Amino acid sequence: MLSNKPGYGAQLELEARDVSVRLIQDAADLLAQTIDILVQRAPSIAAAAACEMGSIVLALHFGDGSNATLSARLNSLAIARTQANATVECFFNDLSLVRLYDLELRPSQVLEQGAFDVRGPADQVLAVWRTFRLLSQRAAGLRPVQSLWRAYRLARNLNFEVPPKDRIHEPGPGSDPPDAAALLRDSESVHAQSASVATTRVLWDRNAGQGWWTFGGPQDADLFDVMEVCRRHVADKIFALIPNRRPVDSLYGLMREYPERGGKGLRPTLCVATCGAFGGHREDAVLIAAAVEMFHNAFLIHDDIEDESIRRRGKRCLHTEHGIPLAVNTGDSLNLLAVETVLRNIDGLGLARTLALIEEIIHMCRESLEGQAIELGWIRKAVVPTRDADYINMVSKKTGWYTTRSPCRLGAIAAGHTRPYELDLIGSVFREVGVAFQIQDDVLNLLGEEGLYGKEALGDLLEGKRTLMLIHLMRTITKGERTELLRWLSSPRDDRSLTESREVLHMMTRNGSIEYARGAAAKYAARGAQLFEKTLSFIPESEDKAILRQVIHYVNTRML
Amino acid sequence: MSSGPFTKLPFSDVLERRWLHYAFITVDGRQAMIANFAMLGDENGAEPTQTSVLLMYHRDHGWTCSQWHAQQGRELWTSYGSRAFVPVDPLEPNFEVQSLAGTPSVSLRLTGTTTPAPAGVGHFHGTHWKRWQAQPGVLATGQWADGMAPSRQTAAVGYHERVHGRWGWPEMGGWVFGFCNQLADRVEGPPNWAVVFALLQPRDERQNHRAMVMLWRRGRMVLYIPRRGVRVSVAGQLPRDRVLATPGLARLLDTSATAPIPAALCIDGYQGRDWIQINYRCRSAARLVVPSETSFQPFSVHEVVGDMEVRVRMRDSNAVFTSPGIVEFAGGASERTWSALQ
Repeated sequence: MLSNKPGYGAQLELEARDVSVRLIQDAADLLAQTIDILVQRAPSIAAAAACEMGSIVLALHFGDGSNATLSARLNSLAIARTQANATVECFFNDLSLVRLYDLELRPSQVLEQGAFDVRGPADQVLAVWRTFRLLSQRAAGLRPVQSLWRAYRLARNLNFEVPPKDRIHEPGPGSDPPDAAALLRDSESVHAQSASVATTRVLWDRNAGQGWWTFGGPQDADLFDVMEVCRRHVADKIFALIPNRRPVDSLYGLMREYPERGGKGLRPTLCVATCGAFGGHREDAVLIAAAVEMFHNAFLIHDDIEDESIRRRGKRCLHTEHGIPLAVNTGDSLNLLAVETVLRNIDGLGLARTLALIEEIIHMCRESLEGQAIELGWIRKAVVPTRDADYINMVSKKTGWYTTRSPCRLGAIAAGHTRPYELDLIGSVFREVGVAFQIQDDVLNLLGEEGLYGKEALGDLLEGKRTLMLIHLMRTITKGERTELLRWLSSPRDDRSLTESREVLHMMTRNGSIEYARGAAAKYAARGAQLFEKTLSFIPESEDKAILRQVIHYVNTRML
Repeated sequence: MSSGPFTKLPFSDVLERRWLHYAFITVDGRQAMIANFAMLGDENGAEPTQTSVLLMYHRDHGWTCSQWHAQQGRELWTSYGSRAFVPVDPLEPNFEVQSLAGTPSVSLRLTGTTTPAPAGVGHFHGTHWKRWQAQPGVLATGQWADGMAPSRQTAAVGYHERVHGRWGWPEMGGWVFGFCNQLADRVEGPPNWAVVFALLQPRDERQNHRAMVMLWRRGRMVLYIPRRGVRVSVAGQLPRDRVLATPGLARLLDTSATAPIPAALCIDGYQGRDWIQINYRCRSAARLVVPSETSFQPFSVHEVVGDMEVRVRMRDSNAVFTSPGIVEFAGGASERTWSALQ
C-alpha cells in the first residue's frame, strides 16, 4: 500500500501558537528572558551567538535606565543584571532595541542617530554587531521570541510595528515581491512543524534566482515544543502497546509507572527527527522510538536496583516502592515488550528495514550492557580510573549508544537508510553528543534542583558512581586524601552519609572538578556541532535537521 | 520533418529526452492523476528506452503509483503534431494507461479545448537545452481506478505538455511548473480561466533562469508574461509526512533525502497595466524519484496537489478564481553526490 493519507503523522505536526509571556520589568529583563528562551528552546542559536562573542564581555545600557552584562559561557550565552568589567559597551533606546529584532527591517534601518551606539575595540565591535545580526535573523524567527517582544512593544506603547503586508497587491515595476509567508500566516491550519516563523524566500526576482531547494543558512526549530510533542506521542504509543490484561497490580500496572512519570523525550525526538531529516515520514519512526523508550525504562528499573537508587523522575524507584523481585520482573517484561514492538515494524516498514532495526537494537543493547558492566566492575573492585579516556569509553557505551547514537541510527533506518557508512557518520556525531549528555547528567546530579532533575540530590556520590568529576578529583587531591576518599567509596552505600557526600562535593568544587566537567561537556558538544555541520552536509536542510542541530547544544545547557 | 508530437530524427545521445506529460484534476477537486511517457536516448544509437508512470491521488486515501513501466493501451492522445489520434467513435477512450498490477489505471477520452502555449526554451551549461510546450483545459471523461476508492466514471480537467531536450539532471538544477483550470460542475468546452507557469532553474546559473506565466480565458491565451515581468517566492516547508516517495521501489533502495518542498508558493507578474497574482498552498505531494544518468543522486519531481487562488487585472477589469492546482517542484540531482563523500 503506497498511500499516505492526508493527516498521516499529523499528531507529530505542531500547531503554530503564541507563547504566554511573563511580566517584563524593563529592557534588561526583556533581554534576559530572550536568552532564557534561546537556551531552553533553541540552544544552537545561543551557541552560534556565543561563538561570535568569544571572550567579549558586553555591557548593555538601555533607554529606560536598566543595565545588563552579556557574555559567552560554555557554548551558550549568560546574562547578568550586574555591571561587570566590560570590553565593549552598547546603548540602545527603546525603538532601536525592538527594531533590531524585527525580521522585516534591514540592519541599516536600525542605525538612527543617537538610537544605538557601540563602543570598544574595532574588531570586538564588529563581533558584537555580528552577534546582534545573528540573533536578529535567527532568534527573531522563533515564535516565543516574537511573542515576548510583541508583549514588550505593546506594554511600552511602541507602535512602530510594520503593518502586515496586503496579500493582494498590484504587481508592477516597483512593487514588493509577493510575500509567500503571508499565505501561511493567514491560514488557521498552518502546519508549522516547529514554532519557528516561516519567512519568504524569493526564487526569481525578475533578474536573478536561487533554487527552490536552497536555504540561505542553517534552519532553526523550537526544540522545547518538539520534544514535548514527540515525548507525548511516543508515550501514548507505549501505553497502547502495554497489554490490557492481568496481573495489573504486580506487572502490567508497574510497566506503566516509569513511562507515566514522563521524561525529557530526547530519544523519541532524535528517532523521529532523524527519520524526517533522512526524508522519511516522522510517523514511521514512532514504533521504534517507543521500543527504545521501553528498553530505556527497563534499563532504568534494573539500573536503579544495581545502583541502589532511591528516587527516579521525582518519585520513589520501582524497587523501593514494590520490592526488588517485582521490579526485576517488570524490567524483564518491558524488555520483552520492546522486542515485540520492534518486530511490529514489519507491517509498516517491511522486512528489510525491520531486520536492520533488529540488528541495530541488538548492537545498542550489547554496548549499553558492556558499558554498565565496566562501571559496575569499577565499583565492585573499588577502582576509580585515572584517565578520562576510560570514563569516556564507559559512558559512550553505557549512555552514548542508547541515548543518542542508536536513536539517530534507528531513525535513519526507519527512513530506509541502511548503508553502514551513512549510519556511522551520524553515529560519530552523536557519540560526542552522548558523552556531553552524560557528563552534564553527572553534573546535574550534584548541582541540579532535585524537583527538576528528579533524582535524589548527590545520588551519584552516595552510589559511588565513577564520574568525570570524581576522576578529576582523584587526580588533583593529595595521596592521603585520595586514600581516604577511596576508602569511603569502598564502603557500603548505607555507611555513606549525606554529610560526607556534601564534603566530597565541596572538595570537587574547591579543586575545580565541576568546572572541569562542565568544560568537557561543552567541548564534546562543540565537537559534535562541528562534526554535524561538516560530515552531515549531505543531509538537506530541513526542520528535522534543525531539530537535530538544537539537540547537540541542548545536551550541555539543559537543566533537567 | 515532424509527424506526431516529436521530430522523427534519431536520438543523438543518452541525455536526449522526449516526453509527453498529462495531469488532471477531477471536477469535484478530490482526485488527481499525473502520467508521464518518456523516451530516453541511448549512447550507441540503439532504440530509445521508454518509461511510463501513472500516479493518482485521492484526497481521502492519498497517493498510489505504478512502477516505471505502466502499460498504455494504444497510441496516446496528444494535441501536438499532425498525427493526433482521433477515434471515430466519440465515446471510445484515447488515453488508456494501467499499472502492471492492474491499478492504478485510467481509461479516458481526452479532448483539447484551448490553444497551446508558445514553446518555452531554456539553454544552460553550454550545450544543454530543454524545450517545452503546454496546453491547459484538456477535458477527460471515462474510467478512473486508483485501487483505493471504487473504480468510477469521472470527469476531469487537466493539462498536457510535450517536452524535448538534451540535459543532464545535475546541470538542470530544478524547476517549478504548475497549472490550474477553473473547475466547473460540468465538463463542456474550455474552462473559464486557466493559468500555467514555469520557472526553470539551471544549476549555478543564477541569471539564466527561465520564467513565464500564461493565462487563458475560455480557451484563448490572453496574457503571456515573460521572465522579466515575473517574480516567484516560496515560504515554509511541507511536512515530510505529507510527501510520499514513489514509485514504491524507490522506498526500498536507500533513496537519498531531498530538500523539503515549500508549503506556499506565490507568483506575480505584470505586462503593461495588466497583472496577475497566484497564491498556492501545498496540501500533499508525491516524490517521483528519477534515476540520474550522470550522478549518483537521483532527480526528484515532486507532484504537489494544493489550492490555488488567481487574481487578474486585465484591460482595467479585475477577476479572481480559486481552484485546485498541481505544481511540480523538481530538483535534487545536483546535491552533493554520495561518491564525493567516500
